[in-house]
Amino acid sequence: MRREATTRRALDRLPAAGLVVGALVFLGARALPPVPGMPPAPTADLDSAPLASAAGVPAQVEDDGYPIDHEIIIRRCQRCHERDDEGRMTRISYERKTPEGWQTSVRRMVALNDVALGPDEAREVVRYLSNRQGLAPEELEPGRFEVERRLIEHVYEADRDVENTCIQCHSMGRVITQRRTREEWELLMATHRGLYPLVDFQGFQRGGDGPQPVDEAIDHLSEVFPLETPEWSAWSASMRTPRLAGTWALAGFEPGKGRIFGTVEISAGDAPDEFRSRASYTYAESGQEVSRSGQSIVYTGYQWRGRSNPGGADELREVMTVDRGWQQMTGRWFSGAYDEFGPDVTLTRASGGPVVSGVHPPAVRAGATSAEVRVHGLNLPASPDAADFDFGPGVRVESAEGGDGSRVTLRVSVDEGAAVGGRDLFVGGVSLADAIQVHDGVDRLEVTPRAGMARIGGAAFPKGYQPYDAIGWDDGPDGEPNTEDDLRLGRVPVTWSMEEYTATFDDDDIQYVGALGPDGIFTPAVDGPNANRKGNRNNIGDVWVVATHDSPAAGGGSLRARAHLIVTVPLYLKFDPWQGVPAGRLVP
Amino acid sequence: MKHLKPINQKAGRIEAQVAREEMDVVGLESRPEGPHIPLGCSLVFSPGWEVDSTGGTAGLCQPVERDLFDCHLACFWPAHVPDQLNHSPDWTSQCASAQKDWRKLDLVFP
Repeated sequence: MRREATTRRALDRLPAAGLVVGALVFLGARALPPVPGMPPAPTADLDSAPLASAAGVPAQVEDDGYPIDHEIIIRRCQRCHERDDEGRMTRISYERKTPEGWQTSVRRMVALNDVALGPDEAREVVRYLSNRQGLAPEELEPGRFEVERRLIEHVYEADRDVENTCIQCHSMGRVITQRRTREEWELLMATHRGLYPLVDFQGFQRGGDGPQPVDEAIDHLSEVFPLETPEWSAWSASMRTPRLAGTWALAGFEPGKGRIFGTVEISAGDAPDEFRSRASYTYAESGQEVSRSGQSIVYTGYQWRGRSNPGGADELREVMTVDRGWQQMTGRWFSGAYDEFGPDVTLTRASGGPVVSGVHPPAVRAGATSAEVRVHGLNLPASPDAADFDFGPGVRVESAEGGDGSRVTLRVSVDEGAAVGGRDLFVGGVSLADAIQVHDGVDRLEVTPRAGMARIGGAAFPKGYQPYDAIGWDDGPDGEPNTEDDLRLGRVPVTWSMEEYTATFDDDDIQYVGALGPDGIFTPAVDGPNANRKGNRNNIGDVWVVATHDSPAAGGGSLRARAHLIVTVPLYLKFDPWQGVPAGRLVP
Repeated sequence: MKHLKPINQKAGRIEAQVAREEMDVVGLESRPEGPHIPLGCSLVFSPGWEVDSTGGTAGLCQPVERDLFDCHLACFWPAHVPDQLNHSPDWTSQCASAQKDWRKLDLVFP
């Protein structure tokens, strides 16, 4: 698209300051450089000689602020950010945030403050600051939706007034993934006023006497998100570069396409915190097989940021959190102009023994005979015995057929009177809780997400798609819908349609907004004024997305459910720290 | 309403509207609650960029291109439209009228 070639004044000057290494130079097999901001690894096979700037855990002086001893930051930033006797630099030393947060700051400094910083230097700065002044896992947890780019219905319960002040312009996720001193929160508000003078009218001031919204926000954020916390003290004392090389079992769910199962091989990269990965997985419903290779950096000892199949139409960004024991990673792989496509993933380390990732289909009906069920995982027996697979009462495994260790195909029969409910699977000394649901028919349908959003595009600006899924539910033992014992049966086959969401007289949005595919993925119409609409309106509107499922449980009738869809205007500006829209990447 | 008949066009439209809504059968649906706006990463004023104060699109400034340059000049939508004060002073240089030349505008990643 013309846009990618001609936009981004700032990016021309910082051409590859993405979080992910674009073109790593091969540095040699074992001569791994130290990681900026990380304590040196105490292993014999790693080059443990630290840079002067990288020695030791994040040091903290008695009063507020972290000393900065990184040569590039001192040299490039000191002109404006004065450094005191203890090595603390104004502003920089008094905040902690995610790699994305630091990346955004670096980009702004380059774009607006004429900082001369090469791409390699920018990467090193982000690495150093993310490691020395990052967030502990517990601190990031409530804001993971922000870095995983999830379009969710988020409510900041701690203070709805402060939320209202902040979300006038941006996600609350940006706020809750930062920690600052009180003075630094005050300066941040001043920065907002300096850059965007209208914020006083839009959210910061309400007029009259007494504290204004901006004052209340400073009070609240200083108290709830201070610079120094027990969580960060504990994490930074023990923080180290994780050793993730090895084989991992992959399980996930991609909206619009269903569950995935596979394997990820992770190997060491050119630095201790860099990794290469090769993923291969299969969509359980369609059988489509996918292979990906990628590179990543792990920040702050646990924040995986990667990119697979870079430059291709199927490129995915990877944002994952490594658990404290280095046994599991969870997160999201995504793409799309608005990050709307891609699976939620869970990686489980395989240490030689069998790993059960999941069972597909996730539900079998009571009374089913010889139903095919596949067990996905790693190191599963190549010549399995049906008797080794134990699904508990009422479920009999009749046969088992092995393969390459990643899958075993079972034939199961379920007693007519088997109790409905989840069944744990035990096999080969491992287990999987609620591996399969025994149900007595689909009682209810749900469309997820309940509220979706798409953006018109395709002419000058990219389209924002919205995938939907139809999830079947069994009402559970009590037979009552929407109670705790309901069983989630996974995606069920449906036909998709749209209905008008009547908001005005003679509402006709449905004629213009776009089309819902047979796979439940909504494709919005083109951007720009539409001369055929009253007032030249854009092709925006509100509609219902309706799923219809033929269900024997409903007496041969059909079940239906619907979800709200807002088709709205594009964004003309995107604060995406990892740059722009991959060319040609518009359709899954 | 059985004995009342609309005597002008607006009353006729109201009656048609009521009839349409009464035909909307929702018995078997798991009916969603109204969405909480904003949607996570989404952004809003009242009326908002993506949605208006009711959570729909009917009240948005339309077409968006009509008002786009005011959004740019006044920095009114700092997270939605390139701002003229800081990041993109020349955003409109190739485009005299957004309603006609909107294809010449660029998507900006500040």
